Amino acid sequence: MTTLDVQPAPQAEPAAATAKVRAKVRATGESRAMTWVWNTLGICFAAVMGFPIYWMIITTFKTNRDLISKDPTFWPSSFSFDSYSTIFDDKAFLPALQNTAVITLGSVLLGLVIGFLAAVGVARFNFRGRNFFIVTMLVVQMVPLLAILIPLYVVMNEAGLTSTLIGVVLAYLVFTVPYVVWTLRSFIVNIPAELDEAAMVDGCTKWGAFFRIILPLTLPGLITTGVYTWIQAWNEFIVVNTMLSSGGKQTSMAWLTFYATTPTRGADYGAQMAGALLVSVPVILLFVIFQKKVSAGLTAGAVKG
Amino acid sequence: MSATTNEAVTRSDTAGPAPAPRPAARGFFAAGRHIPYALILPAVAVLLGIMAYPLFRLFDLSFQNINRYAYIVNPSLGKYIGFDGFGKILGDGQFWQVVLRSVYFTAELVILSMVLGMLFALLLNRVSNWVKVTVITVLMFVWAIPALVSGTVFRWLFASNGGVVDYIGFLLTGDESVKHYDWFGDPTVGLYVVSASVIIWGALPFLVLGLNAALTQVPKELMEAAKLDGAGPLQAFRHVVIPVIRPFLLVTTALSFIWDFQVFAQIFSLRNTSPEDGYWTIGIYLYEKGIVASKYSDSSVISIAMIVLMLAVLVFYIRQMLKIGANER
Repeated sequence: MTTLDVQPAPQAEPAAATAKVRAKVRATGESRAMTWVWNTLGICFAAVMGFPIYWMIITTFKTNRDLISKDPTFWPSSFSFDSYSTIFDDKAFLPALQNTAVITLGSVLLGLVIGFLAAVGVARFNFRGRNFFIVTMLVVQMVPLLAILIPLYVVMNEAGLTSTLIGVVLAYLVFTVPYVVWTLRSFIVNIPAELDEAAMVDGCTKWGAFFRIILPLTLPGLITTGVYTWIQAWNEFIVVNTMLSSGGKQTSMAWLTFYATTPTRGADYGAQMAGALLVSVPVILLFVIFQKKVSAGLTAGAVKG
Repeated sequence: MSATTNEAVTRSDTAGPAPAPRPAARGFFAAGRHIPYALILPAVAVLLGIMAYPLFRLFDLSFQNINRYAYIVNPSLGKYIGFDGFGKILGDGQFWQVVLRSVYFTAELVILSMVLGMLFALLLNRVSNWVKVTVITVLMFVWAIPALVSGTVFRWLFASNGGVVDYIGFLLTGDESVKHYDWFGDPTVGLYVVSASVIIWGALPFLVLGLNAALTQVPKELMEAAKLDGAGPLQAFRHVVIPVIRPFLLVTTALSFIWDFQVFAQIFSLRNTSPEDGYWTIGIYLYEKGIVASKYSDSSVISIAMIVLMLAVLVFYIRQMLKIGANER
């Protein structure tokens, strides 16, 4: 993993540094005209990529008159927040958001605790079956979630856990635990064992060494995996939709998916876009705050999209 | 190697002449051989309970004729039918149609997203710094959009009434009929153009940023040496850049395959929760059979086919990952 960890994470400072170097190189090598061609291409690329998001946001502020006008307008003639009040008036929206929050928090916490313990076991101890365990953790991540959906539902149903949030949290462990173990393992392996040894020589108890050395040094890894798990759990739809199908509970993704299925709302794209934006805001915020961690976490061994 | 130091301490503690019981507070690493097993126990329990057992049930179900009715209302209807279920699905023309469609679709997505990702990653190295920062910022936001949401947004972009893509087409061509072009009427267009563009749009941020970061790993000296030796830009790319970023290329290609082959959310929300059968890739097919039609046994057979296809392609990737992992131990 060492080769991979350094690669992602678009970093501002190195980019600036290389830009200076490149500017010098360019003075001799590349012409200014070419730079402008590349810049134009780059801006076009950014515009095309950004346009759907721009369109989503701008649609939420449009008035009905703009929305049903024959030709779409690229800027609202007047701003209105009606779409947002439509969403907040929807009785299912806030409970769904709350369910999502509970499920996400639960699966992040549970996944991190279980995964962290196993990662310590795998990274710090030599035991029979360790390699088998590690290989299993990798292969299990390749099994498509969709493929075990039906038996998972059957098993949960027999355990009486369908249509409960706990059942969903448990079901999510199927993708959080292998990912957390696989990723945290490489974080813990890279902490030299001499460190906890030294701490113990200096009079730390073994628990002390664990809490003062291993835990703080694994913290970046815990944040990385935590953020990634959070995003996975928040965005998940198929499992939660199946598990909660009979209980009348919904998560925000399921709410959004089925919001447009009635004819009246199907045409109300203002409200749909407002809903879409609102359910993605927590994930967008996490991405913006932890952007380096997210990219690192993804390349560090994630398999699920 | 990390394990040895801890264990050396442990062993000298326990094998010492005075086997006095240690205080519990010191027991974390000292309690001996069963500690690692205790640590992985919860993870193993989870894997057994929600992975291994369901997988067993998956195989069990695939040999029966269970649907939702037989499962919930009248369990006595369920019985073992041997390989008849496999025969039924594998003999079904639609199944092979879906598999083929998934293969084509996955191939299109992986190739297009890797090529585009590479091109834009290279482009990022040529542009001025302010352009680079702009592009990276936009990409981070695109990356953050959940798959279901991007499907919803693209359904609006490509709508035949008031959809902005049709409108831009009209502005460009001046042809009134373009304004109400139905992108979803023909599933071939809807899948291979619209669905593909949602998925590639969502995949590009990771690929462009990742590949761009990988490109910075290529040593400047190597590029200069190649130039001195008379290599053109294409040759330098082929013989210097590609070999250096090869490991990352392997990982990203495999990840793209994994995501694209089991793609579900984008198509599902793009078609407003009920994709027509021309849109059925293997993920959607599985959902339609298993959840919508509640044919548990049939969908189990499909699931097994999906897992087998997936793992067969990924064997090389798993070996690669294990090699990387092995270097760390």
